[in-house]
Amino acid sequence: MANKIFDKETLLDLTVNFVPLFIILFFVGVFAVLNPWGGLGDFLSIVAQGLLIIPFIALAILTYISGKAIAGDEKTKTVFPPGQATVPGTPPLTHDEDDGETAELEGDSTAEHADEPAAVESGEPAVVESDETAEEDGETAQIEATESTDGDGDRSA
Amino acid sequence: MAAVNGELALTVLMGLLLVGVAAWLARVENWRSYTPLGSGGVYGGETGQAHHEKPSGLTRWLTTVDHKDIGIMYGLYGVIAFLIGGAMVMVMRAELLDPGATLISNTFYNSLLTSHGITMLFLFGTPIIAAFSNYFIPLLIGADDMAFPRINAIAFWLLPPGALLIWAGFFPIPNLIPAQTAWTMYTPLSAGVGGGNQANAGVDLMLLGLHLTGVSATMGSINFIATIITERAEEVTWANLDIFSWTILTQSGLILFAFPLLGSALLMLVLDRNFGTTFFVNDAGGAILWQHLFWFFGHPEVYILVLPPMGIVSLLIPRFSGRRLFGFKFVVYSTLAIGVLSFGVWAHHMFATGIDPRLRASFMAVSMAIAIPSAVKTFNWMTTMWNGKLRLTTPMLFCIGFVQNFIIGGITGVFLASIPVDLVLHDTYYVVGHFHFIVMGAIAFAGFAAMYYWFPLVSGRMYQRTLGKAHFWLWIVGSNITFFAMVLLGYGGMPRRYATYLPQFATLHQIASLGAFLMVIGGLIWLYNFVVSYFEGPVVTDGDPWNLKEYNLYTGEWEWFDRKLKTTITDGGDEEVATDGGLHGPVGAETADATDSDDSGRAMDANDE
Repeated sequence: MANKIFDKETLLDLTVNFVPLFIILFFVGVFAVLNPWGGLGDFLSIVAQGLLIIPFIALAILTYISGKAIAGDEKTKTVFPPGQATVPGTPPLTHDEDDGETAELEGDSTAEHADEPAAVESGEPAVVESDETAEEDGETAQIEATESTDGDGDRSA
Repeated sequence: MAAVNGELALTVLMGLLLVGVAAWLARVENWRSYTPLGSGGVYGGETGQAHHEKPSGLTRWLTTVDHKDIGIMYGLYGVIAFLIGGAMVMVMRAELLDPGATLISNTFYNSLLTSHGITMLFLFGTPIIAAFSNYFIPLLIGADDMAFPRINAIAFWLLPPGALLIWAGFFPIPNLIPAQTAWTMYTPLSAGVGGGNQANAGVDLMLLGLHLTGVSATMGSINFIATIITERAEEVTWANLDIFSWTILTQSGLILFAFPLLGSALLMLVLDRNFGTTFFVNDAGGAILWQHLFWFFGHPEVYILVLPPMGIVSLLIPRFSGRRLFGFKFVVYSTLAIGVLSFGVWAHHMFATGIDPRLRASFMAVSMAIAIPSAVKTFNWMTTMWNGKLRLTTPMLFCIGFVQNFIIGGITGVFLASIPVDLVLHDTYYVVGHFHFIVMGAIAFAGFAAMYYWFPLVSGRMYQRTLGKAHFWLWIVGSNITFFAMVLLGYGGMPRRYATYLPQFATLHQIASLGAFLMVIGGLIWLYNFVVSYFEGPVVTDGDPWNLKEYNLYTGEWEWFDRKLKTTITDGGDEEVATDGGLHGPVGAETADATDSDDSGRAMDANDE
């Protein structure tokens, strides 16, 4: 299940946290190898490394938990635009990566993927990649339909 | 041996007493009846808390547990504190027009400096964020109310006595003087030792008042964590929780870990001052212990103050850019990353204390790392606006002002995180300029963006657009004049916290004061605008005054507002209310004249920029 949640898209989302993790790890290595103040292994050196390693571990754990919670819900539940889930009539998002596009929700693309709800029911995300062109800047958008388009019916108005 | 036995007996006795008290309390009161879940509520459903009929007048406000009422009270409280804190700094800026101590005494300057900092951070910053989160989080996540409505009310009502205690030294009470410790309350000065006047009870009252506000913030944070985790509507999942709720959730986590530490440290300081304990005596490095404890709270406090404004800006910029937030999940994950890393950077405030260079280097490394998630957000905001259909309404202008000031404040902060630079600039006006770009230029800007954005929802009326924009321009110009002058003063070597200075700094200080006076004018315009508009502004008759539906960016709180407008029953008053959610339906007569110059109804001229 874990590798299903932490797929390429999720890992891409998490890169924002991998960067600070890498920076901290880099300094752990630098201070261990260069050891500019000597006395590697004495108490203060261990504390200094701990000041890097503890935030590293804490951030790694939080990144894992939050990634699991967000991507897990994304793949198993109907995803609405943030803050708009309680607004009746809001169509669910059909693109996993919709960043930067206009907020208009294309009814057509919703209809396009309407034939793949069964995969979601069985816990398998229905991944549909296409070369649909993004509206404004001509970028190619990779589209993943991750939820059933009939999820709207689950919502209480 | 006898002494040990005596202590043991006392401990056992105390334990028995506490068990007895607990048992007695459990008998006299059914505490479970106080929690929503205990009164028949179920997870994710009805909470059992309902607001049937509110009493009228003052009684309503004194007894309310409605999250919206409490949000309004937090807002009013924050605004009053902001005006008082602003007045304090204006006296200081007037004093700094001249190198000598001409207007006020040095000690009074120190008192104002201390109270200005504490007031703005603890009595304005945290409460104004709580105002928005109390009012809007339950609406955004589809909850009936906060998870613990009574705790919510208690948390607010701890604040007014807290403020009175913090300001007590300014009141005409014999033998009581204001604290002059600066907001950092460094020992040994704040311990009241030595020949100064800080052994005065005014400092004790300030410490206790600060403790009360900390207890209040902690209670509020527990409430928000419980609310966001357990009271969300079924369709609000972690994947589509709005960004403001994410930042409040993270902020609440930070408060939960940071504020109890501040409370403990404050009580230790009170004990040192009054009961002869020696936590912070100089001998064994105790003065430095205070700095460690304070900054372990103090740096997360910076993020406690800035994360929710970041959430507000992340929520608002897309609404006026006609598109969803670019890289929404980047912003969420980076918010959480900031939350964790903020606890690993505290000693970058202490680079100049003679701390071991190895420890110093580690703190510098994590400080560099924490800059990444903050920088990511600025790119997200800019890319959201890039090629968007921008509508430069007043809230949007304040959001753009936030981004601009945050970038300057952030970049100056990265330089301070570098040890060699910090050793040069430490305790200079550069630091003051840096953090004012953040707390005033960014945090307060976002707060005012939110006030303008939600003013129609809370008041049911629209503010005057021209005045709103005048406010913005005075503030963006004023804040940059003032805080850039401070950065330059710091480069010149002007130390912070001084009432007097060398004549060579006079020009830059006068420029800084000029910017501050511009901000005062802007602030007065805002106050006039909101007060007048609250009573006489055009009535909003549509649940979508910002035209969000057109861009599919209509969020839950406006949906609630729309429902409220549609279901409001006219009670025979002389004011007509909309019952059909029409565009420019039954707007009062006063509205007709005002529409030329005001935002009204569907933010009709929001596209005209």
